[in-house]
Amino acid sequence: MRKTAPFRRPGALLALGTTAALALAACAGGSGGGETNQSDNDVSTTITDEPVTLTLSYTNEPPTEDLIDGFTEHHPNVTIDAQQTPFNDYVKSIKLAMSSDDPPDIAQYNPGAMNTLVPAGLILDLGPWAEAYGWSEKFPAASLEVLSSDESAQQFGTGNLYAAPGALSVLGVFYNTSILDDAGVDGAPATLEEFEEAMRQVQDSGTDPLSVGGLEVGGFHIWNALLNVLGDVEDYRAWVYGEDGATIENDGAAEATDTLIEWVDEGYIPSSANATADSDAQANFANGESAFLITGNWAAADLESEMGEDVGFFLMPTASGEPATVASGASVAYAISSKTEHPNVAAAFLDYLSSEEAAQIQFEGGFMPINTEAELGAEGVRAEIADSFATVVENDGIVPFPDFASPGMIDKLTPGVQGLISETMTRDEFLRSLQESWDEHHAG
Amino acid sequence: MPDDLAMSPSPPRAGAARGGEENAVRRTRRLPRGSRRAKGLLYVLPALAVYVGFAIWPALSTLRLSFLEWDGILPPVWAAFENYVEIFQDPALYEAILHSLILIIFFSFVPVVIGLLMTALLLGRVRTGMTFFRVVFFLPQVLPLVAVGVTWRWLYAENGVINQFLEVIGLGGITRAWLGDYHLALVALGLIGTWTMSGLCMMLFLAGAQKIDTSLYEAAIIDGAGPFQQFRHVTLPGVRREITIAAVITTIAALASFDLVFVTTNGGPAGQTNVPALLVYRLAFNEGNIGSASALAVVLTVIVIGFVSAIRYFAREDR
Repeated sequence: MRKTAPFRRPGALLALGTTAALALAACAGGSGGGETNQSDNDVSTTITDEPVTLTLSYTNEPPTEDLIDGFTEHHPNVTIDAQQTPFNDYVKSIKLAMSSDDPPDIAQYNPGAMNTLVPAGLILDLGPWAEAYGWSEKFPAASLEVLSSDESAQQFGTGNLYAAPGALSVLGVFYNTSILDDAGVDGAPATLEEFEEAMRQVQDSGTDPLSVGGLEVGGFHIWNALLNVLGDVEDYRAWVYGEDGATIENDGAAEATDTLIEWVDEGYIPSSANATADSDAQANFANGESAFLITGNWAAADLESEMGEDVGFFLMPTASGEPATVASGASVAYAISSKTEHPNVAAAFLDYLSSEEAAQIQFEGGFMPINTEAELGAEGVRAEIADSFATVVENDGIVPFPDFASPGMIDKLTPGVQGLISETMTRDEFLRSLQESWDEHHAG
Repeated sequence: MPDDLAMSPSPPRAGAARGGEENAVRRTRRLPRGSRRAKGLLYVLPALAVYVGFAIWPALSTLRLSFLEWDGILPPVWAAFENYVEIFQDPALYEAILHSLILIIFFSFVPVVIGLLMTALLLGRVRTGMTFFRVVFFLPQVLPLVAVGVTWRWLYAENGVINQFLEVIGLGGITRAWLGDYHLALVALGLIGTWTMSGLCMMLFLAGAQKIDTSLYEAAIIDGAGPFQQFRHVTLPGVRREITIAAVITTIAALASFDLVFVTTNGGPAGQTNVPALLVYRLAFNEGNIGSASALAVVLTVIVIGFVSAIRYFAREDR
C-alpha cells in the first residue's frame, strides 16, 4: 500500500494512460501511417449514394451537432455517429483514439495541442480536396493558415492543410451599457485612450472597471488583446507560427505588457483577479459587478440571455482610433483520419462548413460564421461582434491565441500574467519566460 | 510512567499456532506438497492479477517511460538519464518540492495535533452525541476533493464568507482574495488541507484510544494522575501506532497533492503554489512530454518513500 500510494493520484492515471498509449502506439506504428486509403478513393467532390456511416469525435457543442444534422439532411445516405468528450479530456484522449486501429473518420482538431498527429501521418493532407472544392475561396485565408503546417508540425502557416474550420471565434471586449451610462461614458470607446478614460470614469463612479479571470486564461486574454492592437502583426504571426528566429521580446509586446502593468497600477485590473476563475469573472460581469469583460465571442450567447440589451461588444480599440484589423481567434476545426474508408464523404462534410446554411448554424451557436457573406439577420450584441469581425476577416487579421506558440506556453502565460498582476514579475521577466518556452519547443 | 502501559493486547499465540499445525498436518496427508502450493497460488491469483495489473505494472511502466523520450504517439526514443538531468536542472522542481514540504505542516503536523486535541476532549467525557461529532469531523473525508476545492475557492474569494466574517469582526483591513495573494496563497491552500485531514486524524486516534484498557486509566487515577497526565501517559502512548499511520497518510497527501491544488489555484499565483504532481500533469498532458513527466513521477515517488520511511523509523516502537 505504501509503495503504490504515490501512484494513486496523477501518477496512477499517467502510468495507466501511458501503458494503454504504448499498446495503442504499437498498433499504430504497424500500419505505416497516412495515405492508406487515398489510392483506393480518387479525390472527388461528388459522393457515393450508398449508405455510409462515419464516426466523428468532437468537444465543442454548439456547433457540431447542428452542423452534422444540416449536412446529413442534404445527404440522407450518410449517417454520422458523433461522440463528444469534455474539453479537458478531449486533447488527451483523441491522440490515442486517432492512433488506434479504428479511429474516428473525422476529429475536431486543435493544431497546437494535437500537432503530433501530423508527423505521425494520422491525419490526411487535405490539399487535393482544397483544390477540388476551391476552399481557398470559400474559407477566410487566415482561418486556413493556422490549420496548415510543415510535415513536422513545428512551423505553422505554411505547408499542407490538415483541417478545415467549422466555426470561428474572436477575442474582444464586452461592456455593460447601463454601467457606462451611469458613469457618464458615451458609448463604446473608439481609441485605447478613450477606453482607459472610460475605465477611470467607471472606477470613479464606484464600480469595478474589469472582471478578470486571472486564475485561468482571463489574464492573458487582456495581454493578448492589447498585443493585437499594439504589436506588429507580422512579428506576432512569425512568433506564434514558429518561424526561425522569431521572438516575443519585441517593442510591441513590451508596450502591451507595460499597458497591462499600468492597468494593474491604476486598479482597473483588480488584485483579486488571480483567484478568479473565468466562469466567475463572467458571472460577475453578467451580474453587473463590472463594466468590462475581455473574452471571446463564445460568451456572447450566455451574456445576451442574462443581460439582454445591456451588453455590447467592441474589439480592443487601437491607439489611433482606426477600426481594429487584427484580433486573436480560434476555430472549431475538423481533420480527417488517414485511415478513413470514405475520405470523399468526410471532405464533403468539411466543404459543407463553408456554406451559407452552415453560416447560420455557426452564428446561432454563438460563433462567427465561415461564410462571412451569408445573410444572418443578426441583432444585438452578436450583430456587433459580427460587424467588427467582418473588418478583421477582410484584412486577413485573424491570428491565433499566444498559447498556440508552444505546447507549454499556457503554463507560462497564466502564471506570468499572475506575476504581473501581483507585481512580483517585471515586464522583461515575463516576456523572457514566454520566449524560453518557445526556444525550448523550437530547438528540437 | 513505564512504556509497557502502552502495549496493546495481542491474541495468545500458542493456541492459534497449534490449531494451525494440526490442520496443516492433516492436509499434507491428503494432498502432495506441490499441488498444495498450486492451490494456494490459485487462491491468491485474482488479487495478485489485479495488483500486478493496476499497481506494479503501471509503476514499472512509469519507470521504463522515464528513460524514454516520447510524445505519446511517435515511436519512443531511448533517452537514458536525459529526462532526469532535465528535470533536476529546472528550478521549478525545487520550488515545487519546497511548497509540498510546507504543505506537510498544514496537511500532516497541524491535523495530527488537532486530532489529538479533539481525541483528548471527546474521549471518556462525551457519552451522548459521539456519533454526531464523528460524522461532523469526518465529513471532509467523504466529500470529493474537487468539490471541497471549488467550495473553498468561493469561501476564500474577495467577497466570500471568510472576508465577510472578517469584516463583521472588524478586520476589514486585512480582507483580500486569499488564494490570489502572492504570499499567502500557499498558507490558504494548506489550511484547506488542515480542514480535510484533521477529521481523519481524529477518527484514527479515537479508534485507537478506545482499544486502550480502561483499567489503565483507573490505575493512573489511583496514582493521582490528572486529565492532562492521563492523556500524556496513557492515551498518547496508546495511540502511537495510529499517529504513525495518520502521519504517513497525511504526509503522502501533502507530497502527492494534486486535485486540491488543481481546482483551487492551479499552481498560481505566478507559480506560488506549484507542487510536483501538478508539474507531472502539465509535462504529460499539456506538453506531451511523457518521458520527463514519468521521470518526475519517479522522483516524487522516491521522495514520498523517503519521507514515509523516515516517519516509520522515528516512530518505531523498539527504540
